[in-house]
Amino acid sequence: MNDQLLAAVSQYGAPALFGIVTIAAIGVPLPITLLLIVAGSMISQGAMNLWWAIGMAGAGSILGDQAGYAIGRWGGPAVVAKLAGLFGRRASLPAVEAKAEAWGGPGIYITRWLLSPLGPWVNLASGTAGYPWHRFLFWDILGEITGAAVYISLGRFFSDRVMALYAVLGDLTWAIAALLVAIVLGWQLLARLRRAAAQ
Amino acid sequence: MGKTWRRTLAVGLAFLLAIAGTFVFAYRAGRRARHIRAENEPIRAWMSVPFIAHAHHVPASVLFQAIGVHPQEAHDRRSVRHIAHDLNRPVPDLIAQLQRAIDAAAQPPGGHPR
Repeated sequence: MNDQLLAAVSQYGAPALFGIVTIAAIGVPLPITLLLIVAGSMISQGAMNLWWAIGMAGAGSILGDQAGYAIGRWGGPAVVAKLAGLFGRRASLPAVEAKAEAWGGPGIYITRWLLSPLGPWVNLASGTAGYPWHRFLFWDILGEITGAAVYISLGRFFSDRVMALYAVLGDLTWAIAALLVAIVLGWQLLARLRRAAAQ
Repeated sequence: MGKTWRRTLAVGLAFLLAIAGTFVFAYRAGRRARHIRAENEPIRAWMSVPFIAHAHHVPASVLFQAIGVHPQEAHDRRSVRHIAHDLNRPVPDLIAQLQRAIDAAAQPPGGHPR
């Protein structure tokens, strides 16, 4: 299916990009980073307009995120659990909900583009946790526009090395995720050792 | 007390694993980034002929000609899979033909490869 989505963006441009990023933002796992890089490469080839691409990608993502937030806020726990289960995340949703409450705005911002696989679950969790909508919208717009601008610009710069760039970004995302886990675990370890020393 | 230490040990091991993961993925990203300009872009079925031409610095007309296709419009952005379907040919055959055309374009007549 990924091949067909990439072909659709390559052939139909920004409108296809808009549709796909909207669906992905609701929670369907799709290769959005690669699609944005491909869009950047197409801009470099003169097949797409830079501002049009950033606008469509940003607008689609924000629309999908808002739908996710609305489902979380007004859909009720049953709908949220069903949606999470549909994409195999039923067990991890409470954990994401706790993280969304703890991280707040910066957490929303970072999961729009740097840790984007967590984005749809943070949307749902922000809704169920009752995170204020105007704050969610602010961080959402900021994060999605950042993401679209960063990945499209990278794709534009490395327009003839799309797959290689995607591989680099994949490793870099894992490195950042592992670093964040290391920071959290390191902090927990330090707290445990201090408690043990105090006893 | 024993249970607490076992948990602390588990957190410590997970911490070391996360640090190792950070270095492994950062090293891989760095190594790939250093060679990003040296490696050839693979041809994929979702790519259009102009996209492949751009990635390999070859005129799109050369690739269209090589696979015997007249572009349907000025910017024919049909994917390789779409073209293969239209021509009733297997996708791997078309990709191989495009790769041969790219290799031939990179090698000037009677000379060494670029």
